[in-house]
Amino acid sequence: MSNKPSPSNWPKWFDPRRREAGSWAFILNRLSALGLTFYLFLHLIVLGTLAQGEAAYDNFLETIHNPLFILGELVVIVGAVYHGLNGLRVGLTSFGIGVSVQKQLFYITLAITAVVAVFFAVRMFS
Amino acid sequence: MDKPHAIIIGAGFTGVATAHDLALRGFDVTVVERGPIANGTSGRTHGLLHSGGRYAVKDQESAIECIDENMILRKIVPQVIEPNGGLFIALTESDLEYGEQFIEGCEACHIPIEELKPQQALKLEPNLNPRLLAAFTIPDGTFDPLRLALSFAATAKSNGARFHLYTEVEGLLLDGQGNVVGVKTWDRKTNQRGELRADIVVNATGAWAGEITEMAGASVPVKPTPGIMVAYDQRLCQRAINRLCPPSDGDIILPQRRMMVVGTTSFEVTDLDYVPVIEEQIELMLERGAEMVPGIRQAKVRGVYMATRPLIGAGVTGRSIARTFKCYDHKASDNVDGLVTITGGKATTLRAMAEATANMVCAKLGVTAQCSTKDTPLLSYRQFYALP
Amino acid sequence: MINEWKITLKIYRQKGQEPPHYDTFELEVNPDEYVLDAIERVWAFRDRSLTFAHACHHSTCGACGMRVNDVEKLTCITPIRSVVANGGVLKVDPMRNFPVVSDLVVDLGSLYQRMDQVGHRSVLPLGEEPAPHPAAAPAPEDLQALRLADCIECGLCISACPVATTTPAYLGPAVLAGAQQHGLNGDLKLLELVDSDSGVWRCHSAFECTAVCPSNVDPARRIMDLRRQVIGARIARFFGRG
Repeated sequence: MSNKPSPSNWPKWFDPRRREAGSWAFILNRLSALGLTFYLFLHLIVLGTLAQGEAAYDNFLETIHNPLFILGELVVIVGAVYHGLNGLRVGLTSFGIGVSVQKQLFYITLAITAVVAVFFAVRMFS
Repeated sequence: MDKPHAIIIGAGFTGVATAHDLALRGFDVTVVERGPIANGTSGRTHGLLHSGGRYAVKDQESAIECIDENMILRKIVPQVIEPNGGLFIALTESDLEYGEQFIEGCEACHIPIEELKPQQALKLEPNLNPRLLAAFTIPDGTFDPLRLALSFAATAKSNGARFHLYTEVEGLLLDGQGNVVGVKTWDRKTNQRGELRADIVVNATGAWAGEITEMAGASVPVKPTPGIMVAYDQRLCQRAINRLCPPSDGDIILPQRRMMVVGTTSFEVTDLDYVPVIEEQIELMLERGAEMVPGIRQAKVRGVYMATRPLIGAGVTGRSIARTFKCYDHKASDNVDGLVTITGGKATTLRAMAEATANMVCAKLGVTAQCSTKDTPLLSYRQFYALP
Repeated sequence: MINEWKITLKIYRQKGQEPPHYDTFELEVNPDEYVLDAIERVWAFRDRSLTFAHACHHSTCGACGMRVNDVEKLTCITPIRSVVANGGVLKVDPMRNFPVVSDLVVDLGSLYQRMDQVGHRSVLPLGEEPAPHPAAAPAPEDLQALRLADCIECGLCISACPVATTTPAYLGPAVLAGAQQHGLNGDLKLLELVDSDSGVWRCHSAFECTAVCPSNVDPARRIMDLRRQVIGARIARFFGRG
């Protein structure tokens, strides 16, 4: 049997039926991971425009000064904060710490992420 | 053909044990079962590894079978048994009176018992009714019904037996003289019909035995007699708790995993395939159970189910029928050759039932092999699924 | 028994190589009955070709695991009123992550084989898997008495696990919990088996196993505990004391 998850099965990770808190944590973790990976490549491509000279880069900076891109940045920040905090949660429970309160840890993770989201949203859009 | 071929109808306790016995004696064995392993009475049994004490007064033949087989099963299949013993407890004056017959009966059936003072019993089982008047220890046990059947089936399979599960026997193949030479099957997994031929067909369908013999124009005096079981979500005793009284409703509390199961009742039905739960009997089990272990009232009901015993008897009813088993050679009773029926009995005596059936099959076919199931340890129940 | 509710049972059907479909059955039920009772009645009175696994009808054997309205349930102890309302639809599917044999029956062979591989004990001393209720605690002299293990090998946790869905080689929650119950105790073969990318490290902490377990096994906690044991064993071996 294969050791590697088959790509054709990946959508099943996000199967939202009937899930418990732990599964939502898992689904959000996968989604944020995929999003951050995508962003990393995007980021590298954008940095690549530096090689095409100052004008090209300034031109690019010009285009991203619109609310849609700012919203995108906010999503990146929120994804990174959630992924990092949930990583701590998973790390702790992996060593047997807080297994019985894993749901509460997930809710705390969500709460902190929400506070951060609001804080940055206010800063970025004001 | 070098090996005689036996078809066994039914993969309940008697079917799988007979498959195991015949496979050990060198038979080519095919088991045909309409559902999964132990889906009928066997799976739904109370799970009590009987010491025989329950029958020691009125039905000593069954009692002796139970204590002998109890000791054998502890040896050959410990992987499915909680071997913690049991208690018979007296709560009333009439229980105490029955106690005297009980002591005599156990002695006559060589069932080892030991009398305990009420305080000693309460020390062993703190959740017993503190008003108990007397108690006896007895070598009862608990088994897991499905895993007991699977252990026999796995061992039979390792010795070459084939299992056709979810395959219903729709009719018998008869020769010109009305003798049975095989079965007509319907594989419900694939929706295909087929035929299987054999030198002998063993009808091990328990309470359903009459439905098979009817196909050959033969009959057996089986009285399907269901009873209720109620499982509770707490384990408040570590031993089987029996009421010291003649067999009656709700007289046994059995610990199993994290649960306790209280049973049972006794009444007759005609439609066997679905026996509905009678709600008044749930209340009765709670009342009777709480007399022995009052804490049951604080436990929650986890499951309720009905199991249909295959009692043998004509004329008498319910509790007074002997709990022993019987093998029928339909050549002798109905002039139908090629068909043997095994029914009656108890889960605890499955191996002995198989031995008697295999003896009859061997005698009919002129095979001289001896029974060796008493000393053959059984494989892990998991091997049934792991073997190809 | 009074059948006061009307429900629609929507049952997954698959025979041989034919494509699967759902059959629906209108049924009068008592809401206090169990889902398995309703399924058994469909077989007894409506459609004799329906196949489903069951044996003990009180949660000791683990044969009747299915997905009821998409949630893994041991159908013999799942009251109908807990999963559907009067007039509602009860959808019943076979468990995921196992090959379907026919209709609601799946092949649990891989689970049983792996449970043997990790040495899950089917009976063990009473004291090892303690009672959850203080009143049910055994007397001290009974701690060495034996009882059947908590895990009934029903496969529900493996059906619910999102990692088992994508990675068939993953040993799965029940099996890792079985390894934890057996204990590493210097068993090198078991250590190699569970300390692998199909073992404890493949778990991604979705905790679905514990959510669906009908038998108090808490596989997620046991997997985490096994990780601790694995690291302990590795450190001990690194310093030459394993």
